[in-house]
Parts: sequence; structure tokens; C-alpha cells
Amino acid sequence: MNALPPLTRKLLRDLWRLRGQALAIALVMAAGVGMAVMSYGMMRSLDAARSAYYEGYSLAQVWVPLRRAPDSLARELAEVPGVAGVETRLSGAATLDLPGIAEPVLARLHSLPIQLNRVVLRSGRMPRAERPNEVIVSEAFAKAARLAPGDRLPALVYGKRIELVLVGTAISPEHVYAVAPGQIFPDNRRFGIIWMAREPLAAALDMRDGFNEVLLRLAPGASKQEVIRRADRISAAYGPVGAYGRDLDVSNRFLSSEIDQLRTMVQILPPIFLLVSAFLLNILLARLIDTEREVIGLLKAFGYRSAPIARHYAQLALLLSLGGVALGWVLGFWLGRGVALLYQAYFAFPALTFSAGADIYLGSAAMALAAVLAGAISAVWRAQRLTPAEAMRPPAPARYSSGPLSSRLVRLLPDEPSRMILRGFFRRPLRTIASVLGLAMALALYVASASSTDNVERLIQLVFERGQRADLALSFTEPRDGRVQRELALLPGVQRAETYRAVGAELVKGPHREREAVLGLPRGSALMRIVALDGTTIEPPPGGALISSQLARKLDIVAGDQIEVQVTEGQRQRFTLPITAVVDVPLGASLVIERGALNRLLREGDVASGAYLMTDPQQAPALFARLKQTPQVASVTVAANAVRGIRETIAESMGIVTLFNTLFAMLIVVGVTYTSARISLSELARDLASMRVLGYRKGEAGFVLVGEQALLALAALPLGLVLGMALSRYIASSFSSDMFMIPAAVSARTLAEGVLVVAVAAAATAVLVRRSADRLDLVRALKTRE
Amino acid sequence: MSERPAIYRTAGLTKSYGTAPTAVHALRGVDLTVHAGELLVLLGPSGSGKSTLLNILGGLDSATSGQAWFEDSEITALDADGLTEYRRRSIGFVFQFYNLIAALTARENVQLITDIAEDPMTPEEALALVGLEGRMDHFPAQLSGGEQQRVAIARAIAKRPQVLLCDEPTGALDSETGIRVLTALETVNREVGTTVMIITHNAVIADMADEVVHFADGAIASHTSNPRRKPPGELAW
Ligand SMILES: Nc1ncnc2c1ncn2[C@@H]1O[C@H](COP(=O)(O)OP(=O)(O)O)[C@@H](O)[C@H]1O
Ligand SMILES: [Mg+2]
Repeated sequence: MNALPPLTRKLLRDLWRLRGQALAIALVMAAGVGMAVMSYGMMRSLDAARSAYYEGYSLAQVWVPLRRAPDSLARELAEVPGVAGVETRLSGAATLDLPGIAEPVLARLHSLPIQLNRVVLRSGRMPRAERPNEVIVSEAFAKAARLAPGDRLPALVYGKRIELVLVGTAISPEHVYAVAPGQIFPDNRRFGIIWMAREPLAAALDMRDGFNEVLLRLAPGASKQEVIRRADRISAAYGPVGAYGRDLDVSNRFLSSEIDQLRTMVQILPPIFLLVSAFLLNILLARLIDTEREVIGLLKAFGYRSAPIARHYAQLALLLSLGGVALGWVLGFWLGRGVALLYQAYFAFPALTFSAGADIYLGSAAMALAAVLAGAISAVWRAQRLTPAEAMRPPAPARYSSGPLSSRLVRLLPDEPSRMILRGFFRRPLRTIASVLGLAMALALYVASASSTDNVERLIQLVFERGQRADLALSFTEPRDGRVQRELALLPGVQRAETYRAVGAELVKGPHREREAVLGLPRGSALMRIVALDGTTIEPPPGGALISSQLARKLDIVAGDQIEVQVTEGQRQRFTLPITAVVDVPLGASLVIERGALNRLLREGDVASGAYLMTDPQQAPALFARLKQTPQVASVTVAANAVRGIRETIAESMGIVTLFNTLFAMLIVVGVTYTSARISLSELARDLASMRVLGYRKGEAGFVLVGEQALLALAALPLGLVLGMALSRYIASSFSSDMFMIPAAVSARTLAEGVLVVAVAAAATAVLVRRSADRLDLVRALKTRE
Repeated sequence: MSERPAIYRTAGLTKSYGTAPTAVHALRGVDLTVHAGELLVLLGPSGSGKSTLLNILGGLDSATSGQAWFEDSEITALDADGLTEYRRRSIGFVFQFYNLIAALTARENVQLITDIAEDPMTPEEALALVGLEGRMDHFPAQLSGGEQQRVAIARAIAKRPQVLLCDEPTGALDSETGIRVLTALETVNREVGTTVMIITHNAVIADMADEVVHFADGAIASHTSNPRRKPPGELAW
């Protein structure tokens, strides 16, 4: 220790003396660095895991769904320039009747892959060719539905009853995120993927010589758009024109949107933490240099040059931030591993390991150092500029002035301690503003994070309570006569039935084309209503169409425009529709017209594609039993299960995120309050001692300290709430994708909890610092000059 | 003198800092009686224990052994809260470095006391007593050292304490300003009847006292009475 130069020794002693505040600042900084490392690292890990998976198991780049096609089509497609690999397969839907699950379970059937979209076997074995009913199922489904090799699965495939035997479980790059058609959250208990040998599947689908889907791999550099265009032209004779690329693959879209969400978070959170730590560092250094100005003057009088002195304080900031960075790296790595585990429950990867490259670690450190620099520079500059004359300056009381506004305000206060607090604020407005902003950001962070649950609840309310009020939604395997409505109404427990018509189409506006379903809904529907993001209910207009704002944006369409509809099923009619309104719909329903109008446009009678049912829950088991026996029913969606699925997914993923953000918010509050209270204590020590000598009790003197922090927190609350709601809205809108829109709906409860979190953290910290004030040695505090 | 009741009594009061080999004995057994209404000056070299005694009598510090009574109550037996209440009710302090609160004006510094005292003067009265009625709305930074010290005196006397304890009140002041401050103290002693104890190392000041106590090495070296108090205006150094 004695070998060290005196300034270095002072540096270490200062750090030790200020360890509480140094730790608070380092922790806030660590949170910022950790979030950056975790988010960037996770983005990269997800991306890398995805690429490796897609490449390793040859995920198709283009899907060409067909009705039925002969082998010659595969040869033709292989000749399209840019196509490097072709694989035909059979694909279909099945409903399973599983013991212990009342509702019909929906399954996607694929013939076993050969070259493309290969699966990773996770347990059991692959089906044997000589045993036609052997299947493997997606791992998450097997787990959720409690299926194990050896189990029998009674299935209904296009009206045929077959019995499948489970021999193994698998995952596939095609179904990293597996959701039933039309859903956005997984319900692994009621939806699964089944792979089986081609022969038996062909038998079940009545497709002995042919196939109904082609997978394409592209040569490097090939134009996907061009291949899709050509594939559509070649296959036009064999079914709806519907080739699409990975960008429209649902599983891949969800993965991409998750990566985008991480990108949004990394743009918001680390800057907040680093900004706050820069504030704190600045006020800490400013105070330190203030108390040491005489020492600095003296050192300069002894001949120390300015540069080493400035360096001394810069080193203190740097040392402190190095601690923050190191801690942040550890935190980031640890968080990253935790989040990777979380993702594994959600995305089925063969392996998802968190790894952030050296560049991410270094980049996060650079960000932190930039914040340190920003925080330290003005304080260090002040130290550099101090003149030796400062050392000789007699101690003078801090200068308070009575500006016209501040003095009038202060006079309104009844007691001296309150006046001391308020004058303090006016004397150092920057520090006051910084503290208020820091606390406000903490509250905003909490509100924005906790409100994600509110937003989802609002989504559920809009979609399921206000809009789709049916308990069950059915889709038929083929369009059916509308009279089916009466038959459905007679099923056990059905209180009301309404049918809808949906048809696949290509929507064209100028150069823009989008493939979407056109939905025909009855006017005055009780069970299926279009509800906009703002909660208003909209009827399908007579003689026109409603369009969702997401789709309108993609087609560059506004209300009043005409849209061309090219139906991709049946007679393939073409017609144009006037757009009467563009609506922000939370999810689903992209182009909606009146059902009768759609029937007329399709030149058909009263035909329905599915139905909505309102049912008596008491009779659900009987109803489900009947539906499982009804071959014409392709799928049954139970609203309550969908809602539960959403809640569980959100609770699982957001629960942990919210917990961390709550901890981080508290960390900021503690950091800000602790630093600001410690500094106030050091400034006010004499005043507090004076008050105690005059006979003020501990609590009465401590009030100056605690009251100051309370007032700062109080001022931060409204600002934090407003910031939080704005941040919540921003996050909701940036999380909204073309698949769904998230409403921004911060609940009063979230706001109240945020206020509580900030208030409790601030109060606890202030009280902690007050205890140091209580222990103040009066005699010593008054003996010191400053 | 003897008709006045005793306001302070100490018996074998000691105070040491630290432990055995390196312990500093600041007080080595002080027996002192102070009568109500007296103006007492404590003289002695630096480090002789004057401040320590005053701090114990004023309830800022605790003794290591021995006893001290304020009127009939034993202050050496009080706990921290008891000492706070004792200071709050009975004691006024004046220090060398004024210890005014920079964020409060002269008037507000005095109000700090009048807010919590039972039967205080008005801040205006207290400031008038030290001749500062014209500067009541100035902040400490806008006042000279002597003026700041007079505000401190006004603050100390505003609650009409029974005792005013002053630790080198003129230590940081030039002689002219110091005399003005001493005059203020003398006025309070004479007009209000407050017992005043003044620590100083300026022997000249002893002439204004009723009683003069010389301190040396943690004990009382001598205790004398002045037959006649000199008005502070007649002092010079
Ligand atoms: N807090 C303390 N710790 C250790 N020693 C102290 C402390 N306060 C005072 N002393 C010592 O006690 C002795 C008496 O101090 P003090 O009463 O302040 O003297 P005076 O006021 O007469 O100058 C001195 O030697 C001083 O160094
Ligand atoms: Mg002393």
C-alpha cells in the first residue's frame, strides 16, 4: 500500500468510503449492461439456432400447397430456374379423440420427410414401413397430452376413422412454434403435429397416386419471388395458387417477431439504466469534488498539475464502472441462460444455448463507458478548472438566494424543515431534475412492463368477450348447405348457432397482392362480431368490405378504394369490392363482407364454411362426444381453451420478465434514492447536527432528509405514470405484427402497483440513510468546518 | 452569590476517549457548581477539556464516570432521547463556527427554535436583542461573521433557555465584532437572567464574568469570583 502514489491511495480510500453509493451506481449500470448482453446475445443465439436448425434439417424455402397433383408436376417444378431441391409430400388435418381430453384434438398430418423438413427424433423410434399405422408426434404435444410410445390415437381423417399408434416423438424446423390454424398462442394439449408413412396417409386422404404439397429448396442467389411466381403458374391446374416462402410460414414468423421484440427491448431498457447511472455518477462526482475543492486547491498550490487531478477523478468513475460492467456481464450471461431455458419451453429447438460473442460483451462495455464519460465529464472538468486560490478561501455558508418565485413558494410552507427541503431543490435544480427523472424512469419501466399483462387481458376482452362471443368455433371439411345451422342447433347443449362463409382469395390492389381469407359474416350476429382496437363494434357493411388496417397497409389501400378479389377455391370467381372502412382489428378477420353478399358473389346459394356455437357448459362432454363423431367437422376451437392458452403463455413468459423488470425498477429507485440521500446527508450533516443540538428529535431532524426524498418521489410519480403509459403504448405498437395488434390498456391496478413499488423502495432506502443520520456524532459534525 | 440556587453540579466527572494504553483523558474528575443567573468564563489551553465539559453539561456528550446534575435531575443518567428533551427544553448553544443553516434566513433560523419551544420569544424580539432587527430576511451567506454569530445567539436565546453554553463564540471574529457579540451575551444574561457559560482562551474576556474557572489538563486549576463585572464595551484586545 505504501508503495502506491498518494493519489492512488486516495482513490482506493475514496472508493471504499463511497462504497455504498459506488455499489448502487455499479448495480444500475450492471442492469443496463446485463440487459444489453442478454438481449443482443439472445437475438443472436435465436438467429444462429434458427439458421443451424433450418440448414441442418433442410427446411424448405418455398411451400406449394395443392389440392392434388401428379408426379409430373414435381418434375416440372424441378426444372424451374433457381430450384435446387423438390420434395413432394402429403399433408392433411385430423381430429383425434384422446382419452382425458374432452374436446376433439386437432392435428396436422405430414407424410414422413425424406430430404426436406426433416425431423429430429426426441424419443422412441421412427415408424416402420411395414407397420402402416405407426406415427411419431411433436414432442410438446406428446408432453402436454401425456402421450407416450405405445399409446393408441383414434383419429378422424377426412371422414375416415383410423387408429394410429404412437412410436416416437420428434421436433421439426417447420414447427418450432406450433399453433393451430388461426391461433396465435400454442395450445399443445389440443394441437399437435403427426408424421406417418406416406402409403397409409395417402390411403386416408384418398390420394394414392399423387400428393398435395411440394416443398422447394432454392439454389443460392435464386429469386424466391420469381420461383413462387413460376411455381404458381405451373401448378395452377392442381389447386389454389398458393406457393409461399418462409416469410409467411407461421412458425418462422413468430420466431422473427420474437427477435424483433428483443430488439425493441434492447432499444429501451439498457439506455434507461445507463442514463440513470450516468446521472448518479455525475451527482456523486460533483459532490465529491465539491467537498474536496480545498484539497484540490492545495494540491495545485503544491505544484500538482491539473491533468493528474482530473485523471484522479476520472479514474474513480472508471474503476466504479468497471465493476458495473463486470457485474453486468455476469448478469447478462446468467439472464441469457435463463431466458434461453424459457424460450425452450416455447420454441422447439434441438438445442438453444445462449452465447453472446466477444463483440457483444465489448459493445456493452463501450456503451457503459460512454455513459460514464457523459456522467463524469462535467464534474471532472470542474476539478480541472479549480484554482489554488480555492484552498485559501474561507469557509462560507452555501449561497442561497431568494428568487421571486422560489421565495414566494417557500414562504407558503409552514415550517423551517420543509423550507430547507424546498430551498435545497431550488439551489441545485439539475440534481433535483435528475433524481426525479431517474425515479420517473423506474416507474415507467415498471408500468410498461407490468402492463403487458393488462394489454393481453384487453386483447382477450376485445376478441373473446366483445367480439367472438361463441363458446365454440367449428370449421367444416367442405362448404355445406346453410341449413346445417338448424342441425347444429339441435346438438346437445347448443343454445345458439350461427354460420359463416370463408373463402381463400388473392387480394389485388394495383401492384400489391396478398393472399388472405375473405370472411362472410351475418349482419346482426350475436356470436361473431368485428370489434376494433378501440372497443367499437362494426357490422359488415352492405355492398362493401371492411379491411384490417394491417392488410390495408400491405395493400396500400384506403377507405373508398376498390379491391380486386381473386378467389382461389371452387369456381375461382373474380370480383371487385369497394372498401368501406379500414379497421384496427386486434386479431384475425382481414377482409370482411356480409355473408349473403359473399354467397351471391360466389354464385352459390346459402352455403357455410363453419359455424359459431353458444353452448351450455354443463353439456359440453356430450356435445364434444358428438362432434368427435361428426366427419364433416374439420376443427373445433374452444374459446375458453384459447383464452387459457393465451393467459398461460403470457403468464409464463411475462411473469418472469415482469419480475425482473420489477427488480430492476426497484434497483433504479434504490440507486437513485440512496445516492441522492447519501449526498444530501453529507451536505446536510452540519445542519442536521445543528438541529439536533437545538433540541430537535431524531425523527424531526431526519425529516429533512426523508422528506426531501419523499418529495422527489412524489414529483416523479405523475411523470413516471405518464411516461410509463407512453412507453407501454410504444411497446404494444412495436410488438404488434401483421398477425395481431396489441391494444394499449394500462390498468389502474398496474399504475397503483407501480406507485407502490417506487414508494416502498424509495421509503425503505430513505429510512436506511436516515439511520446513518441518527447515528451522526453531533460534536464531530459541528467541529468540522464544512 | 450564595442566595442563588445551583443550576449545575458535577461530582468526579471524567471523560476518556479510546482504550487503556492509548486512552485520552479529556476530563479527570471535575467538581464544579454553577449558580443560576451567573455569567461564567472557562479559560484554559487548547486541549484542556473545556469543550468536553461544556458538551457533557449541554447534553451533547456523555461522561465516562462521575455525575452531573442540572437543577435536581441527573443528566449523566439520561439516555439519548432524554438528553434531546433536556436540550430542547433548557439549553441554548453558541459555537465558534455559528452553525447556521444556510438554507434558512436569519429569521427562519430563529424560527427553527421558536417552532419547537414552549414559551419562546418571537424571532423578531430575539433578533432585536442582538441588534439585528434590520437583517432578518438575509441568508447566512449574505451576513458578516459577527452578524452570523449574533443570529446564532438570537437562535440560542429565543426559547428563553435557562442556560446558554458558548464554545469560543468569538474565536473566529475580530476584536470589534467579538465585543459586539459578547455584549449581546451579556445583555441576555442581565436582562433575561439566563445563566451563561463562555469558553474562551482569551483571558481578557474573563473580566466580564461573575465567575472564572481555569482549566488545565482535564481538571479545574482554579475557580475565582470577580468582585465586579466589566461591561464588554470596556474590554480590549
Ligand atoms: N472524539 C474524540 N476522540 C478522541 N479524543 C478527543 C475527542 N474529542 C476530544 N478529544 C481529546 O480530548 C481532549 C480535550 O479536548 P477538548 O475538550 O476539545 O479541549 P478544549 O476544548 O479545551 O480545547 C483533547 O486532548 C482532545 O484531543
Ligand atoms: Mg474546545
